[in-house]
Amino acid sequence: MTALTVPMKQSMKNRFIPPTSAWLTLAVFVLFALAVPRFATFGNIENVLRIASILCIVACGQAIVLILGGIEFSFGSSVALASIMTVLMLPDLGVAGGFAAGAGVILLVGALNGALIARFDLPPFLVTLGMLMAVAGFAATLAGGLPIDAPLTDAFTWPARGRVGGVPVPIIAAVLSLIALYGLLTHTHIGRLWYLVGANSEAARLSGIRVRLTIFAGYIVASGFCALASVILTSRVGSGQPGLAPNLPFETIAACAIGGIPLSGGQGRASQVLCGVLIIAMMNNAVVLLNLPVAYQQLMMAAVILGTVVLQRASAPIQVMWHLLARRGGSQ
Amino acid sequence: MTTYVAPVFEVQGVAKHYGATCALRDASLRLFPGRVHALLGENGAGKSTMVKIIVGAIQHEQGATTIDGSAVRFRSVQEAIAAGIIPIYQHLSLFPHLSIIENLSAFSYGSTRSLSAKSATISRQEAETWLKAVGLDLDPETPVEALSLGERQLVEIARGLGQKCKVLVLDEPTAALTQEEAERLFGVVRTLCSQQTAVLFISHKFDEIDALADDVTVLRDGRTVIDGEPRANLTRTDLVRAMLGEAVDIAIRDLPPPGDVTVRASRLQLHANSSPFDVAVRAGEIVGLAGLVGSGVLELASALAGARSAVSGTLKVGERAIPLGDRGRAVAAGIGYVPSDRHAEGLFPMLTALQNASASIIKSFSTHGILHREVESESILPWLQRLKLHPFQPDLQAGNFSGGNQQKLLISRSLSLPQLRALIVLEPTRGVDIAARETIHEAIIEAARNGAAVVLASSDLDEVMALSHRILVVRHGNVECELPWGAGRAALMQSLAGRAAA
Repeated sequence: MTALTVPMKQSMKNRFIPPTSAWLTLAVFVLFALAVPRFATFGNIENVLRIASILCIVACGQAIVLILGGIEFSFGSSVALASIMTVLMLPDLGVAGGFAAGAGVILLVGALNGALIARFDLPPFLVTLGMLMAVAGFAATLAGGLPIDAPLTDAFTWPARGRVGGVPVPIIAAVLSLIALYGLLTHTHIGRLWYLVGANSEAARLSGIRVRLTIFAGYIVASGFCALASVILTSRVGSGQPGLAPNLPFETIAACAIGGIPLSGGQGRASQVLCGVLIIAMMNNAVVLLNLPVAYQQLMMAAVILGTVVLQRASAPIQVMWHLLARRGGSQ
Repeated sequence: MTTYVAPVFEVQGVAKHYGATCALRDASLRLFPGRVHALLGENGAGKSTMVKIIVGAIQHEQGATTIDGSAVRFRSVQEAIAAGIIPIYQHLSLFPHLSIIENLSAFSYGSTRSLSAKSATISRQEAETWLKAVGLDLDPETPVEALSLGERQLVEIARGLGQKCKVLVLDEPTAALTQEEAERLFGVVRTLCSQQTAVLFISHKFDEIDALADDVTVLRDGRTVIDGEPRANLTRTDLVRAMLGEAVDIAIRDLPPPGDVTVRASRLQLHANSSPFDVAVRAGEIVGLAGLVGSGVLELASALAGARSAVSGTLKVGERAIPLGDRGRAVAAGIGYVPSDRHAEGLFPMLTALQNASASIIKSFSTHGILHREVESESILPWLQRLKLHPFQPDLQAGNFSGGNQQKLLISRSLSLPQLRALIVLEPTRGVDIAARETIHEAIIEAARNGAAVVLASSDLDEVMALSHRILVVRHGNVECELPWGAGRAALMQSLAGRAAA
């Protein structure tokens, strides 16, 4: 077997291929930096990152579900329910307990989604869409239809407005989420199983993988990211709101798609989530800086989603070629 | 030679690249009316690319194609069909939820400009005529999903016959057919030929080429190496040499005598109306399973692998009982499994070759939920080398490999099990070229030599006869009889057809 060690070493080289979305992100940044006044200032970039952080954290969860070949809509109302639950529990449980109660509710919704999808082979689209509506109805009933204000103590506003070493807490949370997603996907057992089940669930079953458990775990971990985001979101708005972030699931799916994660499952990387989120955040920011009507934001978003999906599709053969050339160079 | 007849379709010096890979360099092919033209070549030789160019699915970069002497360049499959080039694909392209008659109308749905599906649907009589032409006596309203795999293939061919067919392209048409259905198909092809249709026939099976082909073209490495020679002028050795570029040695088996019983299925009942039976496979023994389509042979094999549940019965590996249909426990007990449908049941096309091969042993290279990818490479790469994965790029997506190399990945997945006690292989070399076939056979024999109990289920009788210590013949969901090694083809055919029992 000693003769086999040489090609083994070689195969470990050249693992990194720059994704199309990374170039795209760079291009968007350079374009806006040149064309949009006040875009490339330190204060503005920090602002962009802080606003993008919630989207980024939830998109990490969405990415896991997409890799599994599923989709998750219920984030849209579960963050609303969590905010209400947090505010209602504040008097009894204190700040930490309130946030934990809100996060717990989201984990519960995730577990319920996972159980229905994994155990009964129900389509994720319908299960999570149904859950989105059910949870929205429940949240509205619980709140009586109106936002409930929370006492704005320092501890309560810390997740949204605090700083650690000068860096805003939401940005730290988003970076940690991305690192956690990267670690889960590339360095853990369960992450590998998500890819296998998402790529071909029947082949995964026949390879001896517990497909249902893998799916169940995926929805719970995904809701964990959403739970983290809900803490920051509730802290930022300072109240329990039945209509808190209805577009969240769609924005996270858009971010993943723009980053190049296909909705067909089995593929997706943390770097793609980052790129997709950054592109959306920079665009929204540019619209504000240029004083364009908000409607432009939606039109631009639509154009970017369609444009990047087409671009990703067209660049797939180039990626394969890049891989082959890189390999050839590496083995010489 | 047919030099005085003009070719109905001609391909001259075409080239085609996919990214950095060159699929065709300089390939030519001439099809004559009324003749069956066999196209041969290893996987990766460019056969599929050639076929795709002919049927208009892709466009070539250099070279020319002509139909009836005038240059033509199909931009879509629709254009090719309109010109009379009718493809019958290796992977069935029927719509399972629609009825036979709707499937037969698919081409006219594709070309109609009317919004009404009804006006494009062919008449019932027409449908029945087409079905009769391929020897099927079925109600055209039957949904296609109710048909056997063999029947579906014939429906697909019937659909092709309904068109004004100048060239019929049959891409491995018999892969899923029983012997009887294949014979029926050959009859249909000969009838068509007598009506001046040109037939392009792609197959890996020499028996079929002997039975059917008038002319032969061989591709190797994207080039035409034998250009339309009459079949009668060539021996099988000539063909194999042309395909491989060198002579192949067939491995001679010298397995030690089998050991103790490793896999035991007791009172196994596959269907509600079949009777229970026992199967025992010893360590180091290769047991062949033979049976026609629908006989239950694949069900039996997958039940032995714990991949499929059964009505009743028990499955044991050594002393360890495995619940039927619990593939997770079966893998833990060391049962490797190579499923029959590579794409639906085996491959993770967008994951890397390495990740495909390691799918069953992830636990062995993870501790406390953390993966150790260097251990993964160390345990998998030797297998990929031994199976001569080509190109040897473990980080390339599995979907980019040829069929034979994808199959090698699935076999590595089983062979790499830390304690491989049993290996259940279904159709290991379907649609696989000769060189890969040799490698895969050697790997199966090697697994038996190392003490695994091997079960080999294949519709390729030559394969089953060459590799098995004994052959179990499956009919109607039962093990009908057992044949010892060297029983001969005639005896096997007879028990398959059930004449001995009658």
